[in-house]
Amino acid sequence: MSGRTLWKGYIQFGNINVPVKLHTAVKEDRIQFHLLHKRDHVKLHQQMICAYEKVPVPAEEWAKGFELEDRKYILIDPAELEQAGPEDGRMIEVHEFVKTAQIDPIFLERMYYLEPDTTLKGYNALAGALKETGTAGICTWTMRRRSYLGALQINGKVLCLSTLRYADEVIAVKSLELQKAPVSEKELKIASDLISQLSASFQPQKFENEHQKKLQALIDKKARGEKITVLRPRHLKPTAPDKLLEVLEASMKKVA
Amino acid sequence: MALQEIWNGTVSFSLVAIPVKLVRAVETGRVSFRMLHRKDYSPLARRMYCPKEEKLVPPDEIVRGYEITPDKYIVITEKELESVSPERSRTIEILEFIDIKDVAPVYYDHPYYLVPSKGGEKAYRLLVEVMRRTNKAGLAKFVLREREYLVAVKSTDGALSLITLHYSGEILPDEDLLSKVGTTRSREEKIESEEKSRMKKIIKEMTADFNPDKYADERRKKIMKLLEKKAKDKGTVEAPEIEEEVEEGVVDLVAVLEESMRKVKEHR
Amino acid sequence: MSKKIVEAAGRRLSLSNLNKDLYPSYGFTKAHVLEYYRRIADSILPHLKDRALTLKRYPDGTEKDFFFEKRCPVHRPAWVKTAKVIHNEGPMTVCLVNDLETLIWVENLASLELHVPLAKAGSPETPDSIVFDLDPGDKANILDCAKVALILRDLLLQMQLESYAKTSGKKGLHVYVPLNRKEATFEDTKRFSKAVAEVLQRNYPEIVTAKMAKESRIKKVFINWSQNDSAKTMICIYSLRAREKPTVSFPLEWEELEILTRQRDPEKLLIMHSEAVSRVGKNGDLFQEVLTKEQKMPHYL
Repeated sequence: MSGRTLWKGYIQFGNINVPVKLHTAVKEDRIQFHLLHKRDHVKLHQQMICAYEKVPVPAEEWAKGFELEDRKYILIDPAELEQAGPEDGRMIEVHEFVKTAQIDPIFLERMYYLEPDTTLKGYNALAGALKETGTAGICTWTMRRRSYLGALQINGKVLCLSTLRYADEVIAVKSLELQKAPVSEKELKIASDLISQLSASFQPQKFENEHQKKLQALIDKKARGEKITVLRPRHLKPTAPDKLLEVLEASMKKVA
Repeated sequence: MALQEIWNGTVSFSLVAIPVKLVRAVETGRVSFRMLHRKDYSPLARRMYCPKEEKLVPPDEIVRGYEITPDKYIVITEKELESVSPERSRTIEILEFIDIKDVAPVYYDHPYYLVPSKGGEKAYRLLVEVMRRTNKAGLAKFVLREREYLVAVKSTDGALSLITLHYSGEILPDEDLLSKVGTTRSREEKIESEEKSRMKKIIKEMTADFNPDKYADERRKKIMKLLEKKAKDKGTVEAPEIEEEVEEGVVDLVAVLEESMRKVKEHR
Repeated sequence: MSKKIVEAAGRRLSLSNLNKDLYPSYGFTKAHVLEYYRRIADSILPHLKDRALTLKRYPDGTEKDFFFEKRCPVHRPAWVKTAKVIHNEGPMTVCLVNDLETLIWVENLASLELHVPLAKAGSPETPDSIVFDLDPGDKANILDCAKVALILRDLLLQMQLESYAKTSGKKGLHVYVPLNRKEATFEDTKRFSKAVAEVLQRNYPEIVTAKMAKESRIKKVFINWSQNDSAKTMICIYSLRAREKPTVSFPLEWEELEILTRQRDPEKLLIMHSEAVSRVGKNGDLFQEVLTKEQKMPHYL
């Protein structure tokens, strides 16, 4: 079952209106740990501690502040902040369409399923149109008093809405200050051959969270009072730059 | 700008091993606020607190526990966590390469960049370039902190990015949606087809290059404006200065001893 | 009474009753005792130096009465170094065995056992080491002490503290943790050793007790932490013990202790006078670091 309906609205562009409902598409499944006091395993609580008095401060004594400079704050009332939020709308406004391949996954934040609301009319047509044009709609909408930037895309036959990170939230590659390192066409060719040898179709169901299973097994073992053998992490020896071609060729022999 | 290293290890495919560091690729643009103590405007910090002893617990006295029955925990150490998948905690081993276009957006979770460590520049550059040309991404599994991630390593603007993927089990099925969509009664088929053509026409007119710079967070702008106004009208408040504490190795003796004892027992 | 005048380091000493058998069932005369201390002097003197000596005198041998003497005998030769220490009853003059002639003089008094405090006379409140006195209760023996000592060593190592073990020369073992920083007081070392003893008791209740009471010590090793006190003394390393046989409080390397523990022969943990002399000749003073190694006690609230 896809998740519950989070929000309802209309996809809108030109004179087109497609009514949809938003559903969560992902549910994370993780082993939960608690933080305990080492000595007696009492479960610890998180508390807000006053940096000055070093005492826990109850919620009614909290104030919200924006730090202007060190130790200087602008006080802000949460109600005012709420006011600053945009009015909730019902419109997913598509501003433009882009080739899907142009959206680097680095921008993708969270995806929701869209379900047709009231009528199928339009939904199937839009799904088909997006598929045939290979595009995604760049759109904005407002829910829960927050504005979102998103990409309207097709996944199979289902319309999906991914929230996108704003451009200034993505760290530019140039700030990584990567060094240039020349590679020869020969190396590129052999690496390219190697990669096609190692290529497969994307089958995510092949991959399970084995670690989670092993972790659960470890916990069970410990719970039974059995001894745990601690293994050292494996470190790989980096390939020396002058050995790169040689190693590529050896790899090629291995896979061919 | 030197980005803080989150992890370091090796990216490998076949026999090639590239030493790399993992760094952030995104930072939230949300306006962040500090919680203050209304009394003196000193900032509040989240700290772990022992409800039994009614005191703050320093980080070195905190352990991770898994609750097996209510209030009964199994303590798991960092070393044990690391040893669950020892072959994956320091190595991102690319198992296979896939076409990026085959990965549905729903799988993407959180992005990072990989940057080469000393000596790895050339092999890194090679992998970036080959994946750019072939539009492929490497699939790998690796363990960061206590979680194992399925990740896609790909070429992004001349760098390697690493994007964690959701496991297929974490993706909610869309079968009930599929049963609703895609099917059209024959008498509506024609209308739908016409509608589709109309949409395609509009889409073509509205198609442009992806340029995320065009969009800004409207809410962020409004909040910043509000803050400017508040600063002008009401001014700022000032928190008291905090004296640097000289905590010269103040530790709890019994805790130190018990911890030491635990380690002794582990090794015996 | 047989008397003999000897010269030691240029001092003339009159030795008496040299043929007196001080270990009658073994046959070890005062002459033997003096000979032992003369031969071990280089090793024992650094451990006696500047410490208020408590004499434990056995004028009629180990099978007869003994008496403790904390005060330095008034009939002492003029060259015997002394120190004034504050004792419960007020100031007191004590002997400092800083040289061979004093050692010989003291032994001529049939002071078979030499007991010294953990602090030097000049700084009586700051111990140079922490001591754990491992004492086997009824139905426990020195092998049990060795087992506990090895755990204790590991525990101390976790806190970056090196420790050194010696036999008591009787049934137990003593584990020393050198500090040599003149910062921790007996109050600190006592609190630390008590906490350590209690942690060991909590973790190994079947073999360790931190309680003095005799009944709680059956089959267990009592970790006597209360020795960390300015008023208490410990048997000095290399000192003879007044038992049937002339055994010695002797240092053991941890590796040796591990091996002996595996061999399960408690007798091997009793070092006799002759063995002590030959081993010191071969290995030197294994307790040298106890006097010199500087270590910091973990600070605590």
